[in-house]
Amino acid sequence: MIKDESARTEFGVIRIHKKAISSAAAISACEIEGIKGLGKDIHGQLLGIFKRGRDRNAIRVEIDLNGEVKIDVPLIIKYGFNIPEVAALVQENIRKNLEKTTNLVIKDINISVQGIERG
Amino acid sequence: MRLFTVFVLFCYSVIIGILSGFMISFALHRIQPADINAILQVAGSDMQIRQILFTTGVIFLTVHIFFITQIIGKWQRERTIAFKMASGVVTIALSAVEDLIKKATMIIPEIKDLKPNIIAGKKNSIEVNIRLTLKSETNIPELTTKLQDIIRSKMSELGIDADIIASIHVAKISAFEDKKSKSSTAEQTDDKEPSMPFSNYRA
Repeated sequence: MIKDESARTEFGVIRIHKKAISSAAAISACEIEGIKGLGKDIHGQLLGIFKRGRDRNAIRVEIDLNGEVKIDVPLIIKYGFNIPEVAALVQENIRKNLEKTTNLVIKDINISVQGIERG
Repeated sequence: MRLFTVFVLFCYSVIIGILSGFMISFALHRIQPADINAILQVAGSDMQIRQILFTTGVIFLTVHIFFITQIIGKWQRERTIAFKMASGVVTIALSAVEDLIKKATMIIPEIKDLKPNIIAGKKNSIEVNIRLTLKSETNIPELTTKLQDIIRSKMSELGIDADIIASIHVAKISAFEDKKSKSSTAEQTDDKEPSMPFSNYRA
């Protein structure tokens, strides 16, 4: 598995770490109205027991050998919003922002709605 | 993650190998109780061995906890409804749908408590089982029809085009409200000041 996406320029190599991609995706996801916040992954849930997993970014980024990026986004959606519509908006916003800021080819943005909470 | 799985499998095979070897040896009298006692005494008296045992125990316990959480996480991930969008797959945790149904239906004043349980069937069907606690003097057929309509509309709002089987089980009809109102009226009567006998009498 590739840990970061790299591009070569005349001055050297530019590497974008997975964490940077995941942070950008998190910001893009939270921009959409109807998003309460990000869900947690297994490690976040485990760290949550010790009250240290609150700030952990649970978005998982995978980069394959062709440089295509796959993103898994766990979400908590506000009650009263249409889930497919909000999910589609999140996918679109993440794709648009990541392609604009990183020039990456986004293959899949998989959303998993983990919960519904009152806003 | 694969490396972690290999490591866990290695740990488990080592532990099971040692344990089974010990059990077989003990059963065949290859190991005597006195030998075990001697080993334990040596281990107990040596500080370094105790430290090694402590570290190994902590590592095994941590690995075990991580492995269990992985299994639980996978199991939780399996309980989802998925549909394809242009940019990827959207999965909704069934617990989230249960939460949504609970929030949408708890606005009905006749419902005191509600526990939804959703099971995704294999043949493009979703079974919604609801366990209800109702307040007394509720028209049950009317309420259950209303409830089924809400469930169907909420599921279609989610974009789920599967067959929805909404089963409702009225588990309890609570008369708590009546008791509460009775007790409050009793409290109100108690709050009044007791009248003094012959208080209006004037000599």
